[in-house]
Amino acid sequence: MKAANDRRKRALSLRRRLGIAMLGPLVIAALALGLIGWALISDVVRRTNDRVLGGALGAIAETVQVERGEVTLDLPPAAFGMLENSERDNVYYRISVGSELLTGYADLPAPDPARLSAETPQFRYADYRGQRIRIGEVRRDLPRIPAPVVVQVAETLDNRNALRQRLMAALLLGEAVLVGAALALIRPALGWSLRPLSELRTAIEARDTRAAPDLSPLRTGPLPAELLPLSRSFDRLLGRLDLATSAMRRFTADASHQMRTPLSVLKVQVALARRGSAEALQEIDEASDRLERLLTQLLTLARADEAGALPPLEQVDLVEVSRRAISRRIRQAIEAEVELLLDSPEQAAFQVQGHRSLVYEMLSNLVDNAIRYNRPGGKVTIGLRKDAGGTRLIVSDDGPGIPPGQREQAMARFTRLQGENGPSGSGLGLAIVQSSAERLGAGLLLEDALPGLRVTVIFPNHGEAMDFS
Amino acid sequence: MRVLIVEDDAQLARGVVSLLRAAGHAIDHVASGEDALSVIATEPYSLVILDVGLPDIDGFEVLARLRARGDQVQVLMLTARDGLDDRVRGLDLGADDYLRKPFDVEELEARVRALGRRRGGDAAPEMRIGAMTINRSTGRVEVGERLVELRRREWAVLEALAARAGQIVSRETLQAEVFGFDDPVGSNALEVNVTRLRSKLAPDGPAIRTVRGVGYMLDRS
Repeated sequence: MKAANDRRKRALSLRRRLGIAMLGPLVIAALALGLIGWALISDVVRRTNDRVLGGALGAIAETVQVERGEVTLDLPPAAFGMLENSERDNVYYRISVGSELLTGYADLPAPDPARLSAETPQFRYADYRGQRIRIGEVRRDLPRIPAPVVVQVAETLDNRNALRQRLMAALLLGEAVLVGAALALIRPALGWSLRPLSELRTAIEARDTRAAPDLSPLRTGPLPAELLPLSRSFDRLLGRLDLATSAMRRFTADASHQMRTPLSVLKVQVALARRGSAEALQEIDEASDRLERLLTQLLTLARADEAGALPPLEQVDLVEVSRRAISRRIRQAIEAEVELLLDSPEQAAFQVQGHRSLVYEMLSNLVDNAIRYNRPGGKVTIGLRKDAGGTRLIVSDDGPGIPPGQREQAMARFTRLQGENGPSGSGLGLAIVQSSAERLGAGLLLEDALPGLRVTVIFPNHGEAMDFS
Repeated sequence: MRVLIVEDDAQLARGVVSLLRAAGHAIDHVASGEDALSVIATEPYSLVILDVGLPDIDGFEVLARLRARGDQVQVLMLTARDGLDDRVRGLDLGADDYLRKPFDVEELEARVRALGRRRGGDAAPEMRIGAMTINRSTGRVEVGERLVELRRREWAVLEALAARAGQIVSRETLQAEVFGFDDPVGSNALEVNVTRLRSKLAPDGPAIRTVRGVGYMLDRS
């Protein structure tokens, strides 16, 4: 078993599948969270720092006044104090009236005054002295001053960057802990989830013993819903196997039981022959014929019973099969002084759907029975009829018949109804007929032929044929 | 001795009948359980060879009914079944012996002989009556040093009388034990056999006395 499994191409193990299915999305989610976190953190850091920058800007801009027609301002130290931080960012400022610099860093990138709105500070990034800076700027329109006053405050970005990195680091650390914990827990979690599966496997493996295969249903604890169908279908399979093997065992037991009587006859008659009995040889001959017939019938029955798929249905010519059955049985009929005849309307075709060999064995056994349980001078007739109900194959004899109450029993295996001095049958003939008819999807009818027995096999008409296999 | 064979297979029955007939027994054959029960009720069989597989009631049932009605006839069960259970069941129901098909002929004969000896209460094969020695296993009869050749009917008469030596055996009993109901029996067949046996044992063997109107008796001495 193991070797066969290993040779098969292996699919991804369930453990791996589950692992990938659980960890993959987790990692993707962590990455997405990182990206979103980056964006959020950047935005928050920018906004808060801009607010501070805006505060400083406002404080400076408020001090811009017109005194005697001149623009004046008083740079408040608190405004710059607001911008002090641990990263020692450089702070630049510039206040201009029109294109004229009032105070501050002349080379700070000048804005387009038309783009600036009055009183609302605006922010932009720029490069200044080899560094990236954030500039906050606002325009003030002062009375009696024709040119707009522009106030700019700028800072380098070290503080912003440092803050953003700290927040990102905290976020990434959190994510790392999460993924790590998931990784650590996923193995025991998978083991726990898959334990019912391995319990089931143990239960199944316990059955794989050479000694005596146990075909009773699996004994496991309560199973999860996903495994129930599996264990149920396994149990069903076991059940069918059990039925098949016990049927086989019964059949072998019956068969060996059946062989014992003719074997006893042989032993007794051989002993009598040694002691010079004249009839012994005749009896030995008869007993070996019985054994041979029994074996043939056992094999036929085993074949008719075989659960395997039948070959596809074929057209079977009942006239042809009847002629073959008659030529097989004609010697037997002559010896038994029984007339054997075929009664079929001329030029009528009797084609049925079936399996030629099964039909032949069935008919052959019917004729054998009819000859065996007949009287000298009696008749065996194979009749063929066709009507709306189907095609009928009828075998009737002049024997004693079977009382209605015993007909079912007659079809059971190894049952012989005949008592004293009856012909020596195997008790399998009608069982073979029944089994074959079943496989052919044909009906079987036992009736009185007054005086004998009439067995009718009814094949459904074409198109209605059912394959029972 | 008188043996009934209950066996539904006609061919096997024929074989066993000719086998045991050749051994000097009077054999009858029936093929069903009901028939067996009715003939056993009327005929004095020493032994019934009973097949288990019968068409009407099986051998176990026949045996159980026999014992239930107090019939002590010896029963040898014959079966085609394999199981130990069957053997135990047969013996528990009161069978005296058990034989499985297919059997060896010699074994069947030996068991029939052994059961026959047990009937007289004495299982030893050899019996001494006066100067006569009867070996019930081999069928050998000697008077002094002289070997006595007996036909099978004569042997049957001697066996029946010897089992009850010193007692009168009624004519009817002897007739029933020596002849089966299918045997062609002339009215004086028993007398003829007794007379022949008597002359073969004479002069030194035990005498067979005729008790007129009653039966026969083999002298003990």
